[in-house]
Amino acid sequence: MYGELGNKLVQHAKRTQSLAHLPPYQTELVRSVAREVRDLDRDVNHLLTPFSGSFDPSQQPAIACALLVDHLCMRRNKRCLLAYHRVRTEKLEELCWTGIDVLEQQAPPAAEDGTQPVASSQSGNHSSLSPEEEEYFRQYSDLLAAYKGQWTDVDLTGALEPPKDLFIDVRVLKDAGEIQTEYGVINLTKNSQLYVRQGDVERLIAQGFLERLS
Amino acid sequence: MSYYDIDSILTDAQKLPCTFELEVPGLGILEGNPGDNIKAGTRIDLPLWLGEMLSIGARLGTSRLVTLDIPSALSERVMNALKADPRTVDLRALAPHFYSLSERVLELFEEEEMVDVLINTFKKRASEIADHAHNPKGALGDGVEFLRGLDETERQLFRVAHDSAKETRIWAGEAKKR
Repeated sequence: MYGELGNKLVQHAKRTQSLAHLPPYQTELVRSVAREVRDLDRDVNHLLTPFSGSFDPSQQPAIACALLVDHLCMRRNKRCLLAYHRVRTEKLEELCWTGIDVLEQQAPPAAEDGTQPVASSQSGNHSSLSPEEEEYFRQYSDLLAAYKGQWTDVDLTGALEPPKDLFIDVRVLKDAGEIQTEYGVINLTKNSQLYVRQGDVERLIAQGFLERLS
Repeated sequence: MSYYDIDSILTDAQKLPCTFELEVPGLGILEGNPGDNIKAGTRIDLPLWLGEMLSIGARLGTSRLVTLDIPSALSERVMNALKADPRTVDLRALAPHFYSLSERVLELFEEEEMVDVLINTFKKRASEIADHAHNPKGALGDGVEFLRGLDETERQLFRVAHDSAKETRIWAGEAKKR
């Protein structure tokens, strides 16, 4: 039955809405929906060829009905595809604003060798983003950075909670090299524990380099 | 009802019994036998997005393509059950988007009584939902059966009511944050 694959896609989107992370991109499903649209288009052309451009719907109600069904199915598939991708891009934008670097966290192997990530559930090591989405995320991040750059004294993506303590304990999860602070240089080597000013390391915590110890 | 609204797309996917009024070539795929023709008088369940548009064609003066029927989720039997006691009916089993489905169906049919029954159902169930949301009884308490039978609209209502109760407690300082 036409439109069923699209429906599956929308159900995926529905699930995505309630998840914190982004599930793998359904390459296979998206491709089959697009294929279905192409099939439908071929069908329409096939139905219309005998009339050579002079088709009158009121004389051929049966053909007109078949055409209408084909057209509606294509429209439906388009809506499903657009809605699916919109849910995902909205999620990506949200992640961008909260400062989680999706590309950094999930995709180092895929980004390096440049191959297309196969979006199946088994390949846990691969990116859960399609190549287009990766590109979108990168450009959106740039856009956001440019936007934030206009106000150097306000951090637009900073935490809204007022900090309770000026200094906090953190543990380093990933090597991040040296960072420059007001009080000098801190060297972030993996598994070390530091007592630092919260303002200095907030971004690093959001990016997953540090873990806050309470 | 936005074009991109996931819930509205899923509402549109729910099925409606339709009867074809004329023979259409090549549409057997709707019935599950591709390549065949569909005969006049065939009854099949079509999703709302398809059935609705096919039946609207009928109103534009051209010959009827399809006649619609009330879906089983809104049948006489269900209406009677809802009249008797709205709280015991498992709406989710009938249709996951029960209220949005009935909204769409009532745009197509004149059913004054059904409107009243559904409004009454929603009111009665809404107060019950609010009760459950404000006084959580855990996953094993009574009312689990009822909460499992909520349709999508009611689930959202429950979530909102539950979250707002929690936020109020946090604001009043009775509960700790997170």
